[in-house]
Amino acid sequence: MSADNFLEVRGLKKYFDVGRPTWFSGESRSLHAVDGVDFTLRHSEVIALVGESGCGKSTLALLLMGLEDPTAGTVTFEGRDITHLDDHQRKDLRRKIQMVFQDPYESLNPTQNIEEIVTEPLAVHGIANTPDRDERVKKAMEDAGLKPAEVYLKRYPHELSGGQRQRVVIAAALVLEPEIILADEPVSMLDVSIRAEIINLLAELRITRQIAVIFITHDLGSVGFFADRVAVMYLGRIVEIGTMLEVLEKPQHPYTKALISVIPVPNPRLRHERIILQGETPNPIDIPSGCRFHPRCPVAFATCKVSDPPFVTLSKTHQAACLLLVK
Amino acid sequence: MEAQITTTATAPRFQEFWRVFRRNYMGLVGFIMLVVAIFVALFAPALSPYDPSSTLNVTTSDIYNPPSAAHWLGTDDAGQDVLTNFIFGARVSLTIGFFAAFISLVIGGVLGIIAGFYGGRTEELIMRFTDIMLVIPDLPLMMVVIALTKPSIFNIILVIGLLYWTTTARMVRSQTLAVKSRKFVLRARAIGSGKRHIIRRHILPLVLPILVVQAVLVVSSAVLAESTLSFLGLGDPTALSWGQMLNYAFGRGAMSTGAWWALVVPGFGIVWVVLGLTLLGQGLEQVLNPRLDTHHLMPGRPVVRNEANEDAEKPTGKSPLLEVRNLSIHYINEGSPPARAVENISFNLREGELIGLVGESGCGKTTLMLSLLRLLPSAGQIVNGRVIFNGRDLTALTEDELNSVRWSGISIVFQGAMNALNPVRTVGEQIAEAIIKHLPDFPRESLSARVVELLDLVGIAADHKDHFPHQYSGGMRQRAMIAMALACNPQVIIADEPTTALDVMIQAQILELLDKLRKKLGLAIVFVTHDLGVVAEMCDKVLVMYGGVTAEYADVDVIYNNPKHPYTQELLKAFPDLTKPKKKLSSIPGYPPRLDALPAGCRFAPRCPAAFNRCHTEQPSLHKLGDGHIASCHLVEASK
Repeated sequence: MSADNFLEVRGLKKYFDVGRPTWFSGESRSLHAVDGVDFTLRHSEVIALVGESGCGKSTLALLLMGLEDPTAGTVTFEGRDITHLDDHQRKDLRRKIQMVFQDPYESLNPTQNIEEIVTEPLAVHGIANTPDRDERVKKAMEDAGLKPAEVYLKRYPHELSGGQRQRVVIAAALVLEPEIILADEPVSMLDVSIRAEIINLLAELRITRQIAVIFITHDLGSVGFFADRVAVMYLGRIVEIGTMLEVLEKPQHPYTKALISVIPVPNPRLRHERIILQGETPNPIDIPSGCRFHPRCPVAFATCKVSDPPFVTLSKTHQAACLLLVK
Repeated sequence: MEAQITTTATAPRFQEFWRVFRRNYMGLVGFIMLVVAIFVALFAPALSPYDPSSTLNVTTSDIYNPPSAAHWLGTDDAGQDVLTNFIFGARVSLTIGFFAAFISLVIGGVLGIIAGFYGGRTEELIMRFTDIMLVIPDLPLMMVVIALTKPSIFNIILVIGLLYWTTTARMVRSQTLAVKSRKFVLRARAIGSGKRHIIRRHILPLVLPILVVQAVLVVSSAVLAESTLSFLGLGDPTALSWGQMLNYAFGRGAMSTGAWWALVVPGFGIVWVVLGLTLLGQGLEQVLNPRLDTHHLMPGRPVVRNEANEDAEKPTGKSPLLEVRNLSIHYINEGSPPARAVENISFNLREGELIGLVGESGCGKTTLMLSLLRLLPSAGQIVNGRVIFNGRDLTALTEDELNSVRWSGISIVFQGAMNALNPVRTVGEQIAEAIIKHLPDFPRESLSARVVELLDLVGIAADHKDHFPHQYSGGMRQRAMIAMALACNPQVIIADEPTTALDVMIQAQILELLDKLRKKLGLAIVFVTHDLGVVAEMCDKVLVMYGGVTAEYADVDVIYNNPKHPYTQELLKAFPDLTKPKKKLSSIPGYPPRLDALPAGCRFAPRCPAAFNRCHTEQPSLHKLGDGHIASCHLVEASK
């Protein structure tokens, strides 16, 4: 597996200090947002990171982008350790890894027009004065589905719909010709009818531009058709990872099973028993002992409270961390 | 596909600003007052009847002469023309005002942005320094400084400029903090932008409106400060400002000789400029910071019904709990055609039934929902139709009569539970308040027990009663909103996108809760959503809306397994189906129509894959397909 060293994440952790020792209490507490994540991303692969809010998926994205500094672990890109880089060293790397944010209403500066927004990354990287600038901007916009580009150049974000704004964000990422796009919940703020458009667009880009995509979402239903692999996160860790069909059709971890069971099926004749987990993801300051999922797990048994489950290999591509799978 | 949007020339930002500002009378009056003052100052030599520097030919008989043909505003203590001095005084006062304001804005702006953007120790240092400056009384300090240095125009500008920046710094800092936390700044960092680039391109443009407003207000403070200093005798003796005129007149017997003109005229100048600037500042603030839009608390428009349009058909059998008949709502804006937000919508709801109201954003769902309780913003008007609840027509009730139905009969669970709860009061208090507001006679001693009972109903433990909303998770806040909606035992609950911002698991929990409540309490629920998948799980009936009209209305099984309207069919195709994971999703190209520019024919025709000629010219009527199934499509008629 030679392509494996494209993007490699090993033992990545991020703890936030939430209470320094004070006059009255000497206790220091930390929030374990990301607590030991390993995965690899291959060239032009689409991997979906799925989990509820509070599972650490957004912090993971910020770590990969170098917008937060990890507490431990390494991130390697094309064989180079990029875990801790200063702004100057990171700058060139940023051209290769770009991010698309959740809220297209918030992630565009309302005082810039679309041309300024899409040209800005070029200016930041000092390549805005090349003769092919306009060509690049135009191509990025049209690849992002803003056709013809001229119609949109002089418009402001508030004149566009949510779907169009998300395309502008994608165009501003594409203009730097990245190799990886990190998409953090790119469709959760959009209407269902428009979600398909944005997902199809990302799926197209991995084919036309060979871009690898890390697709972060809480909705397993939306990753079905275009992800190659799916990683399910719970409380800062990956609990199950496998190819899309393995995870969707043969889920092994009880958490994955529950997540799949609550995906709405648009057919009342297929109403089925849903495994609705009670409560919400526990506070990442007080991680439960043993298996961190045991307090909400419908099939937990005594050992789960004390023993942290190891990753069990189920196939060459499929792994899950559950004591029920340990033989 | 998106090329359908024609290139409408985007108005530059300034033109847009001017268009709105022109209608703000207060700001406009202030602006004109300021322009007049600046005009006077600029063209002083041309406007004044005398040369201010000529002291020739002055005799004692010229002192404090009342207004006359030669001296329209009289003469002053030195026998000089007051009008001339007044006109030249504008130059001095305004120059000092503008320059001092400029200095203070630069200092305040720079410090505010640095403090807000860099944070940490830098911020701590700057803000504590600002606090110290703020508690030092300005005027005595200015007096001391001016008295110690030479009272020249330059010194006065400098002192005012160096003392008047604190408010600006604090306002700019808080705005910078707000802008800094927005996602587009994070995105700029992800692109690789440096700090200076982010400040210049992303922070400054959004801080600028505040600076503009602040500039105007600081100029007026500076003009006042200069007048005060001059009046106290600390002005530049070589430059005759309005304050200086007052100083001379007051100190040299204008009061005892009854020469009111020598005092009133410069006083008028100061008032004119300060008032003009204040008005302009307030006007600018309203335009640049529009918080004063109309809202739901303003009285709505009365119901104007066109009886001729009424459907005469009587419902058969047992009358439903809630019946909406041919309801139409228009948004009426002066000077433009009405936006036909909702047109001819009918549905009914029985006890314990759940209806899904489905459509994309901008399809009139929220308007329809708000109109049921007549909570529309003031431009919204029910132009036709009836809302019959328990046999009473809600559109015919007075505001007071309607208040007895609101919450006790029909209540609403709003979208975005974060914003709908008051952050400074506990959840228990807010639920108690909802009970008292609608049931004033509720016995106080059992109030607390009732709150606990309501929380228990929605699955929140009693010990969370005294917690604040920020201590609740997203899912719990939504539960609290539901508890609040249940406070007065309503028969109908309208749930407006109650699960949209929630995770799938929490969404499933909320849906399970609503389902349980309707079985337990016999509640009827109107579930507003853009997500067809959500309603499939629990609805009895579905109303699919498009562009304000009914696209299709049927039992849930028919909608999903035998949809007739192409819009319903397309919406279903756009939905990811886990039972067929490899299937490519299809999307509906284009966007819903603007409600003030609706297509001539079927409202869905521009996006419809099955549209033919007739669809673009003629609106389809509502075709009844039996069993309560209704679809508005020409194809349905053709195949019937």
